[in-house]
Amino acid sequence: MKKLKIEFKEIIREKGHKEAFDFLFQNSNPELDYPEQYKLYKLFNSISCESLRLKKIKIAILPSCTVDHFVDIFKFCLAGEGFDAEFFVAEFDTIDQTILDPNSGLYSFEPDVVWIFTNYRDVKIPADAGASAEEVDLLVEESVDGRIELWKTILNRTDAVVLQNNADQPLERVFGNFESNVPWGNVSVLRSYNMTLARKTISGVTIFDLDYISGVFGKVRWEDSRYWYHSKHAFSMDAIGLLAFHASRLIASIKGLAKKCLVLDLDNTLWGGVIGDDGLNGIKLGNGAIGEAFVDFQKYVKKLKDRGVILAVCSKNEEANAKLPFEKHPDMQLKLDDIAIFVANWDNKAENIKKIADSLNIGLNSIVFVDDNPVERNLVREFLPEVSIPELPEDPVDYKSCLGRHSYFETISFSNEDESRNDMYRKNYERKKFQQTFTDISGYLKSLEMEAIVQPFDDFHLPRITQLINKSNQFNLTTIRYSENDVLKIMKDNNFATFYFKLKDRFGDNGLISLLILNKKSSEELYIDTWVMSCRVLSRGMEEFIQNELIAFGKQEGFSRISAKYIATSKNELVKNLYHKLGFTMEKEMKDPFVSDWVYSLENGENECKVFIKRMNNT
Amino acid sequence: MAERNEVVKKLEGVFQDVFDDDDLQIQDSTTADDIDEWDSLMHVTLVISIEKSFGLTINASEVAEFENVGGMIDLIVRKLNS
Repeated sequence: MKKLKIEFKEIIREKGHKEAFDFLFQNSNPELDYPEQYKLYKLFNSISCESLRLKKIKIAILPSCTVDHFVDIFKFCLAGEGFDAEFFVAEFDTIDQTILDPNSGLYSFEPDVVWIFTNYRDVKIPADAGASAEEVDLLVEESVDGRIELWKTILNRTDAVVLQNNADQPLERVFGNFESNVPWGNVSVLRSYNMTLARKTISGVTIFDLDYISGVFGKVRWEDSRYWYHSKHAFSMDAIGLLAFHASRLIASIKGLAKKCLVLDLDNTLWGGVIGDDGLNGIKLGNGAIGEAFVDFQKYVKKLKDRGVILAVCSKNEEANAKLPFEKHPDMQLKLDDIAIFVANWDNKAENIKKIADSLNIGLNSIVFVDDNPVERNLVREFLPEVSIPELPEDPVDYKSCLGRHSYFETISFSNEDESRNDMYRKNYERKKFQQTFTDISGYLKSLEMEAIVQPFDDFHLPRITQLINKSNQFNLTTIRYSENDVLKIMKDNNFATFYFKLKDRFGDNGLISLLILNKKSSEELYIDTWVMSCRVLSRGMEEFIQNELIAFGKQEGFSRISAKYIATSKNELVKNLYHKLGFTMEKEMKDPFVSDWVYSLENGENECKVFIKRMNNT
Repeated sequence: MAERNEVVKKLEGVFQDVFDDDDLQIQDSTTADDIDEWDSLMHVTLVISIEKSFGLTINASEVAEFENVGGMIDLIVRKLNS
């Protein structure tokens, strides 16, 4: 640590704050003990964060234990995920009062996240020894219903999302093993409480799995009674790093900064040996200890793909060699169809990964790169510090747990689009290739045979709608984030009109790819509050199609103009000129250099944009 | 046998680390009042850092009892030699 501090100071002096920041996070590790975490936090505090473009986030923690030490480390971990966090910490053990009192500091703080930070000691369910399953269920339900009331109060009074800890199973058991055999045993009661919390969770609330974290850390170490009795720390100080790390990942996911794409090396990463040298029969895959471990690693990667993580290959190989195992090896779990983009050449990997990000239209910070070769890892780290790169262990049997432990791919929802995302990106890639065979763009667009569905928001699509609002960074005109709860409110509000757009073409279904939230500001003015679109359908005429829908809707409802704003962020340069392109006029004076106001008059005659997308009436 | 002056030297290093001050010096009579940042929260950080550096465990009542650095040193010496 002393050495680290000296090196850190050197970097800050000679290179700069951004480099020092990257250096700190490359040397951080959730498993470091508390004093080491604290030293990293102190070093982090000496960095001037202004140059880092961290996103502000306000987090309120309502604890039933001491969290001050945790908060420091949490702030550090959140910075690693791209956030500049500000905290409100309620007085120890005042959870209910803080939530119920409309004048409490919680509400004037205007939090983005409210974390109800409880532990097993707060779950007081008085099940008598010998009580029946029904009796226990009733008591558990009653206890969870108490929580739900608190959640609802927060959701009604704030725009925050709520995190609720579940119960970490304590170490001691009065009845020993028997406690998990009967419904009234404390172990069973807490399990049932955790299950019921999850089952009864309402939109806007995410259960934080404290019990899982305590298990990962190890219960024997987790419970450190000294600091409970001395200063009301509910778990070992050395678990703080692990907890802060997992919570930061979850918050990144809630705020739309989760990782999206896994870029994989091939030789000695997906199989043992070098395909170009060892040949199809020589690589280690399927048989033997190592061969089996590679199969299991591939199975894990395939499951990630099935839940919506995009897979790409980046390998130094001849393309034909690289593809051979995918096509011919009987023990390959991953097939070419699973890979959205396959890059095998001899160029440097940083360049290749940049190209992969460009063709998928995703940011470098949403990429995870897995390579067994430390030289390649360091090269990519050097040139693309935004890319996440796990320090892969030497032994391939540990690849799976290494990738798993990093929790890169957190999520708080799952929709049908997730399941088929990889497929969509791959087809998109085919479309691009297909596009190269056409010289004129309208011929290409026509040949795509596109069909769009236009509908107002509905409950069924709510998870995807919320996801799109919170995940879209590039095609996002105002970058206003709405929670599921906010969207529900907007859907019920007569001053708003909402539309979602689905797009299909000859290569497949793109799913729900764009949405509009329109605010009826007056009888004359229809204002575009939110317009987001998935970048994978860019330049297909969807923007123009949506503009036509807007005009038709505006005229039909008797408005005289459509107004709109472009609010610049570090990521939405893409749509800077969108309104100009669509025929809007910019209001003369810009008060704020990052905000431009636009208006489109509905009183001029016909001005529909030409598109090659057929409007379909229903799903 | 752990020598008292060796413990003092090492403990001074821990203090310098925790309070982020390379010039910080400790004496037997030093108390929380002498170091601005030394509040009840930092006390916990300090105790844990001492445990890690010396490889010993300080129990709950001892955590609260540290009145001055001299007492701290005596306890560490006693633990290391027991």
